[in-house]
Amino acid sequence: MTKKRLSFLLMSEAGIGLVLVLLCLIFALYEPNFRKPNNISNIFTQISINTVISVGMTFVILLGGIDLSVGSVLSLCTILAGLVISNGDLSVPMAIILAILASLAGGIVCGLFNGWVSERWRIPSFVVTLGMLNIARGSALSISNSRTIFNFPRAFNAVGTQSFFGIPLIFLIALAIVLVGHFVLSYTVFGRMIYGIGNNEEAVRLSGHNVKFYKVTAFVICGMAVGLAAILYMLRLNIASPILGVGFELNAIAAVVIGGTSMSGGKGSLIGTLIGAAIMGVLTNGLLLVGLSDFARQIVTGFIIVAAVILDTYRVKLSHMLE
Amino acid sequence: MTPILELKNISKSYPGVQALSDVSLTLAKGECLALLGENGAGKSTLIKAVCGFHHADSGEMYLDGQPYRPLDPHAAMEAGIRVVYQEFNLLGYLSVAENIFFDNLPRRGPLVDYRRLYREAQAVLDRLGLDLNPRTPVELLGVAQMQLVEIAKAISSRCRVLILDEPTATLSPKDSGRLFEIVRALKADGIGVVFISHHLKEIYEVADRLTVLRNGEVVGNRNVATTKIPEIVSMMVGRDMDAEYPFRAELQPNQKVIFEARDLRIQGNPHPISFSLREGESLGISGLVGSKRTETLRAIFGADPKDGGEVFIDGQQVDIRSPRDAVASGLSLLTEDRKNQGLILDMPVFANVTMAALDKASRHGLMRRNLETEAADKYIDELGIRTPSDKQLCRNLSGGNQQKVVVAKWLYRDARILFFDEPTRGIDVGAKYEIYLLLWRLLERGKGILVVSSDLNELMGICHRILVFSAGTIAGEVERADFSQERILSYAYQEYIK
Amino acid sequence: MKKTFLAVLALCMFSVGAMAGEKPVVGLVMKSLANEFFKTMEEGARKFAEEDGTFTLIPVGMNSETDIDTQVNAMENFITRGVDMIILAPADSVGLVPSVKKAVDAGILVLNFDVTLDKQALVANDLPEDFLFVGPDNEEGSERVGDFMAAKLGSGAKVIIIEGNPGADNAKQRKAGFMKTVEKYNLELLESTTAHWETEEANTVMTNLLTRFPDVQGVMCANDSMALGVVKALEAAGRINDIDVVGFDNIGACQELIRDGKMLATVDQFGPEMAANAIKVGFRIIGGEKLDGWIKTPVAVVSAQDFIRK
Repeated sequence: MTKKRLSFLLMSEAGIGLVLVLLCLIFALYEPNFRKPNNISNIFTQISINTVISVGMTFVILLGGIDLSVGSVLSLCTILAGLVISNGDLSVPMAIILAILASLAGGIVCGLFNGWVSERWRIPSFVVTLGMLNIARGSALSISNSRTIFNFPRAFNAVGTQSFFGIPLIFLIALAIVLVGHFVLSYTVFGRMIYGIGNNEEAVRLSGHNVKFYKVTAFVICGMAVGLAAILYMLRLNIASPILGVGFELNAIAAVVIGGTSMSGGKGSLIGTLIGAAIMGVLTNGLLLVGLSDFARQIVTGFIIVAAVILDTYRVKLSHMLE
Repeated sequence: MTPILELKNISKSYPGVQALSDVSLTLAKGECLALLGENGAGKSTLIKAVCGFHHADSGEMYLDGQPYRPLDPHAAMEAGIRVVYQEFNLLGYLSVAENIFFDNLPRRGPLVDYRRLYREAQAVLDRLGLDLNPRTPVELLGVAQMQLVEIAKAISSRCRVLILDEPTATLSPKDSGRLFEIVRALKADGIGVVFISHHLKEIYEVADRLTVLRNGEVVGNRNVATTKIPEIVSMMVGRDMDAEYPFRAELQPNQKVIFEARDLRIQGNPHPISFSLREGESLGISGLVGSKRTETLRAIFGADPKDGGEVFIDGQQVDIRSPRDAVASGLSLLTEDRKNQGLILDMPVFANVTMAALDKASRHGLMRRNLETEAADKYIDELGIRTPSDKQLCRNLSGGNQQKVVVAKWLYRDARILFFDEPTRGIDVGAKYEIYLLLWRLLERGKGILVVSSDLNELMGICHRILVFSAGTIAGEVERADFSQERILSYAYQEYIK
Repeated sequence: MKKTFLAVLALCMFSVGAMAGEKPVVGLVMKSLANEFFKTMEEGARKFAEEDGTFTLIPVGMNSETDIDTQVNAMENFITRGVDMIILAPADSVGLVPSVKKAVDAGILVLNFDVTLDKQALVANDLPEDFLFVGPDNEEGSERVGDFMAAKLGSGAKVIIIEGNPGADNAKQRKAGFMKTVEKYNLELLESTTAHWETEEANTVMTNLLTRFPDVQGVMCANDSMALGVVKALEAAGRINDIDVVGFDNIGACQELIRDGKMLATVDQFGPEMAANAIKVGFRIIGGEKLDGWIKTPVAVVSAQDFIRK
């Protein structure tokens, strides 16, 4: 029975959670600044955007796909929202609401394109989203005339720094998105389909389901998540820029994979993804506080990503042995 | 004479399972031993212990009288124990010769000595009497030829014991015959052969003795010549079976036609296909491999596109363009490839059971776990699915139980018309029998069932009527009263001998 | 894919140029047009070409700051087409030298701007060490804006440098300028680290550094995008009033911050005129003037005073 409990612990997200706890302990032990409540709050803020993007990425990766366009789409969404929100003709609440809708719409359209094109012509999502990476970036540059938009309403900017009991508002929003996503994946017919298709698309199709619909929808959800992440970005940094978000797709993929989601699809969870994003954030924060140089930080982060994934294969093996 | 391979009191346990207990057996030089047992009886575990994949907990092994304890598969290979598995281990882009000698390519310096490679490969092929060009890439070969290349690979270096794991599962009767000839030749060369097969008739072709395993124990050693099939089956199953095929003569189909295909045109087949199925009828489809039996089922089901034709259910024309339409119209298809098309192996039993009828196990788009468990438990009970719980992953079930989960999926959907494509392929005798009984329970409830099978005896045993496909046409239709192998086979070959 | 796209784009541009007739043709090889700085520079050059009307301009830009291949391809296409002059902002100060050599050998006047070509690479390719360069002095610019901050903070102040992409030439030069300030004013350099020119990363890095060095007094950023992130970090931490920030590039968003007193100063390199200046210098040479080495273009510190005057 203890064996069973242990194997359960290893199989669930708790396994990768241990890595996070271990990292935090090490940093807390060696770096007094790491322990400061203020620093913890900073880490929460810093992981929020990546977390929300990773939620979307998880849906796509669970289906065995990949979305390389999230960074560019994020940038495009900030530009769309930025143009709306900085429009002086609109009342402030109206401008904010319309900006959020514009950002979501941008994400949804890009996601729909990614999903529909890859399904309609059976092109690997790797290729389609690589195309979208360029399309979205180019669109963002041309719509904004490659300028950074910054004159947002003060009310909007003020929201970004709100926090409740030391937990930043934007992290609470990110957490809410994770929980909604987790609920969808775990308890809905849609979630069941995502896992089913990720494991065996043909079996699901032959069971009488419209597989294409679910696959396209997963990309749309990813786009929506990016649209939401764009709003968080604007809340945090109060700018919209056509050059932001370069390389964000890699951080999101890293968070998803560290969180235990299989790149071939069908296995993984959003709680794991949240922990994965937290591990990335703790590393960025902790290694800088400890005072490692730029290059050393990069090397250590790389090794820890690889180590976390290796550890993951072991915990699966170990739990199999215990069964 | 010392046996070439002797196992004494081999035991092996996994947490919670005694996979082998006190298994002893002997294999003489030039002898063929059939190793029989249901799935899960311990055959694979035993083979893996002999090949060094894992170590027995206790017991001894002797090879040619010498104590034998392989550390790993490579050591077993060095010692002359070679296995040909059901799944091929060939590299498609490489040639026959390169595959045969892959583990041990002849070299000249750092380079592969191709002249010697082809010469030696030719010698091995000649020894087996195989008419194959050693330069042909393996991917261009048929399944049967690949199987033979696997055997060539196994005997290319020192081979004292050859283990064949289900070698005929994918072979046609003619190719199986060829394989048996080769096994007889190898026996004459003094090689000991262990032969594993679910096709009991085959063991009479090649095996001298047989050993039956059940639940990890040896339940009997017999001489093949003096043992009859029913005796073997009851040793394997542990109980007597009335007959190989249950047929309930009292259940006859209604006159009501519930399904009809009219002038159906499958892609790439110029011949239109028409047939009908009645309520409570078990209709078999026979034919050679490639006669478009599976393709017909898949086209009707919307799994593959079709060129034309009409489908009627209860006299109403239905337009089926996708499996989704088919399921909505009350059809179901148990595919021949259950692992890749029927089941989601890494999902639990309950999720597989409800996969085709999620509307029944959910409310307002939310899955209802209690409804799922209810459904899964019902079928675990009704179909006798052996699983610790409905949360078990299907990957961990045996072939027969996996097939029952697929059946459960369609029963839960409550489809009226069921297409069974090779329903008993690769599953053991006991599970086969249970599938047959289930078929009759379904017919009793008025379902219509279409069965495609390559096992003619099976079709004759369970069907009211058999359609015989030949090269994409229905060459003949035989009623139960007129069933005979000759008649069905002559229809099956009809289009090929024209 | 990106490259193919650009190559096609470049071809289209050439065919447009071919129709223009006898006028001298000037090829402009730019870095990332995604960067506001280069974008304005390209616009400035186009505007100049339009107003001047005596030559045809073919601008080619990259999609990212480090896309060397596209630049090499563009150079080769210009050589094949036989343009009269190539104005080049190299993405890599070594990697582009062989292309420059080919162009020079083909009799094309090549002017280097924005970032200087590597001296050793020039010599190795039989080109003069002081190859024609038209542009601002990045080092001088960052030194001047650094000095502006140091003068306010006073000697011995504690500062942090946020660097650009490690390995990028302008990042190195700007850091060197900041380092001169540090030495001159005897500042205490707490940390010098990269944020890869990125707003979000600079925000994260600054927030974390603030935890480690709460007593920091000034932050010197190698570009304005990063300065945006740094200012935001200071605002979030409630430290915007006691820590000074300087940047580089003079982008619109930073002008606003300077006007509001949230940022101390930035550097204007007069980007829009930079490419145009290089073209002007080129025509002076074609006109017979003997010029070589570094022809400097102006840099200026932009601070709140500039806006008061306006």
